[in-house]
Amino acid sequence: MANSQIESGAPITLQELYPSSPFFMEARSLRVTGLLKGYSVETAIGVIEDGDRSLKINTQHLRDISFRVGSVYQFIGDLHIEPNNEAILQARTGRNVDGIDMNLYRKTVELLRQFLDVEDNINMVE
Amino acid sequence: MDRSQQNTHAKLMTRDIHRLTPSPTEANCFSVGGISWVSRVETVGTIVYRDMAEKFLKFNVDDGAGCVTCILWLNQLTSPYFNRFSSSTILMHARTARRQARDIRIGAVARVRGRVGLYRGVMQITATNVVIERDPNAEILHWLECVRLSRSCYRIQS
Repeated sequence: MANSQIESGAPITLQELYPSSPFFMEARSLRVTGLLKGYSVETAIGVIEDGDRSLKINTQHLRDISFRVGSVYQFIGDLHIEPNNEAILQARTGRNVDGIDMNLYRKTVELLRQFLDVEDNINMVE
Repeated sequence: MDRSQQNTHAKLMTRDIHRLTPSPTEANCFSVGGISWVSRVETVGTIVYRDMAEKFLKFNVDDGAGCVTCILWLNQLTSPYFNRFSSSTILMHARTARRQARDIRIGAVARVRGRVGLYRGVMQITATNVVIERDPNAEILHWLECVRLSRSCYRIQS
């Protein structure tokens, strides 16, 4: 079944996306959130930013979404690494998340990851 | 075994839904970590797949820890199962299901409640209620609730 192959997008912050990071892998499914700094209608490529980090997003497969520079968006998609080691997310879903509490989001992503890791370890022991 | 959760919608991360183990004696009853029994679950996540069939809508929800398949039945007007209900009740169910199906779009965040079950060896949710979340913090709050409930309610922590 086609849908059973859909990989869950691991929630990360843009600060965690750097070349030696475990998330910085070709075809890695990720969920990223950031402020839209720029968007090209011609190429359907946008750039989101969180703090001092930014990431290119290819939105060519998205429907029913309009982009407004200055708004916060969340995307789920697969990471593609260019030959020059630049990452671009091939978005499968996107949504406007204006009003999101980014501090709470960052802390919760960390907490959730710890929770899932502990659960994994418990299951391995069992 | 704690059966106090069996008639509530257990808030579980998708990864934990896939780890539910079926009861050897009771149909549609699953154990969480060998301690609590559940038959209904609640998940909140982004809709990443949608496939409309004649009698049902199949969609996938990604909550950041995994994906789960959900089925929303749309056969209220033709299924003999609904013969025991009055026509007005059947119509109400049919309209509600159609409205929910229309709102289920890729990229939207949905809160799905329903019965959990095994289909071809994989856990899936037969949805009884689907609400599209407008609050951008809804998923975050769901994650926090899942972590809290997992520690305080579904599993005994030493």
